[in-house]
Amino acid sequence: MLSLVSIFLTCLALILIPCLFIFRRPSFPLFLKKIIIFINTTASQYNDEEERYGTIGEKGKRGRMPKHVGIILDGNRRWANKRGLRVSEGHEAGARTVLEHAMDCFAMGINTLSLFAFSTENWGRPDGEVNFLMAMFEKNFKSEMAYFDRYKVKISVIGKRTNMPQSLLGLIHEVEEATKNYKEKHLIMALDYSGRFDILQACKSLAEKTKNGLIQVEDINESMIDKELMTSCSEYPNPDLLIRTSGEQRISNFFLWQSAYTELYFSNVLWPDFGEAEYLKALTWYQQRQRRFGRRV
Amino acid sequence: MDFNDLMPLLSFWIGQIGDLGLDLLWRFIHIVVSLWHIVSGIFEAILSNAISLGLIQKYSAIDIEKLRCLAVVVDIEVARDVSKVIDLLQWLKTIGVKQVGLFDSQGLLKKSKDMILEMVPGSMLLQETGEKDISPDRKGIIDIEFISSSDNKEAVVKAANILLEKHLKSNNHPEKDEEGDNVFTESHLNEALRVVGENVRVPDLMLVYGPVRSHLGFPAWRLRYTEIVHMGSLKYMRYGSLLKAIHKFTGVRQNYGV
Repeated sequence: MLSLVSIFLTCLALILIPCLFIFRRPSFPLFLKKIIIFINTTASQYNDEEERYGTIGEKGKRGRMPKHVGIILDGNRRWANKRGLRVSEGHEAGARTVLEHAMDCFAMGINTLSLFAFSTENWGRPDGEVNFLMAMFEKNFKSEMAYFDRYKVKISVIGKRTNMPQSLLGLIHEVEEATKNYKEKHLIMALDYSGRFDILQACKSLAEKTKNGLIQVEDINESMIDKELMTSCSEYPNPDLLIRTSGEQRISNFFLWQSAYTELYFSNVLWPDFGEAEYLKALTWYQQRQRRFGRRV
Repeated sequence: MDFNDLMPLLSFWIGQIGDLGLDLLWRFIHIVVSLWHIVSGIFEAILSNAISLGLIQKYSAIDIEKLRCLAVVVDIEVARDVSKVIDLLQWLKTIGVKQVGLFDSQGLLKKSKDMILEMVPGSMLLQETGEKDISPDRKGIIDIEFISSSDNKEAVVKAANILLEKHLKSNNHPEKDEEGDNVFTESHLNEALRVVGENVRVPDLMLVYGPVRSHLGFPAWRLRYTEIVHMGSLKYMRYGSLLKAIHKFTGVRQNYGV
């Protein structure tokens, strides 16, 4: 009976799985969510085994999930241009994609999700676009605060913050305070973020500590800089997997210091179209990297 | 055994069957993705062989001037096979690449630099030439820089110490300080990195050879807008794939976030 059921499910899988990769938006969201929940359960089982025994077999590697995933959200403007829409509509579609899929990522067992939403270089874009983006961030923080609080998602915003409107800064502070005690799920929004600035502010912070006698100059080393970086707010500051959408193959000043051994996954899909199938593909790809090349470099 | 006793047992078995089905499903997702990679790999191999044989016209003329600085990251497992690295450098020289930064995390290529420079005709160590000597008239010359992990975070720590001392000095003698309070700017860190002997030039393109799709600790400060292309194993490298990667780079248009 068991074998008959397994055979039936196998045949179903053979028919349905190719559809995942042919159609961008699969019409079986409930089905995929079941897979996601299963992966999460399996991953936590194998992660526990690894912690307990210090080893993990081939089967275990298949279940391993990245603890920290970073995503460079690229392609909103091109998405809008392709459809004859305004750039602002592209950004709104991108924001909807973030909100739709953030919880799916956490359901898969990812602890920290970092999103590169606005870089320091983006201030150079037209004023209208920049003002729209700041207003959109404000609107989304306001509308989604209760949602993240309900699902116990810790929100952190990293970046310079010097040019942001006061109203947005106030909201960011409010959201961070409201969610600071949550631990299982962490959403990091990189706004006005620059990898080079992150390294510089870490050096400056150490300089201040030295000036105040808290540390000695000779004590400064790599791990001290690690602790001063903006990502030190996370339990897993270095991303295991970094995804960039829209086909560009560079990290564009995101997590320069933190990404030394991060697996880089470049997807051709524009960010607003990045859905469940693309996540599954990225995570499957990540797991395959672990399975074949599990040796530490 | 009555119906109430049977229900938990049934639920348990249904759950087990469901889990087994999902496990099989996840295995098949992996099989499908693996098959996809195999098919893509075969296609890539055919295409790169066609490029190597000169059968595809568009790869015969590459605007190499756009590629001023190339970085090559090599996994330590393959960095031991220096002959492959030498072959790669000779191909790059043939294509017309003028400056190459060779990186492996453990510095194995640094240890073999004399042999590499001897085996690649027309190659010079970058430190000897300096940036001012890089001009289009230096035909047939390839400048090679050898980089390892010590040029990454360790170098930034040393540079940070220089800035720190400057900062402490300016606090102790404010009347002598011309720059003001802020010595922690990008240009200051660039200068401090040069003082500790590091090259701060940002590579336009990075080719990663090895099993891992990661830059493996290449100097973080230099990676800001570098195009990163994973080339697969160095052992099975192909001239056609190299040409294709460089050609694709010459067609990329960056907006630098603006």
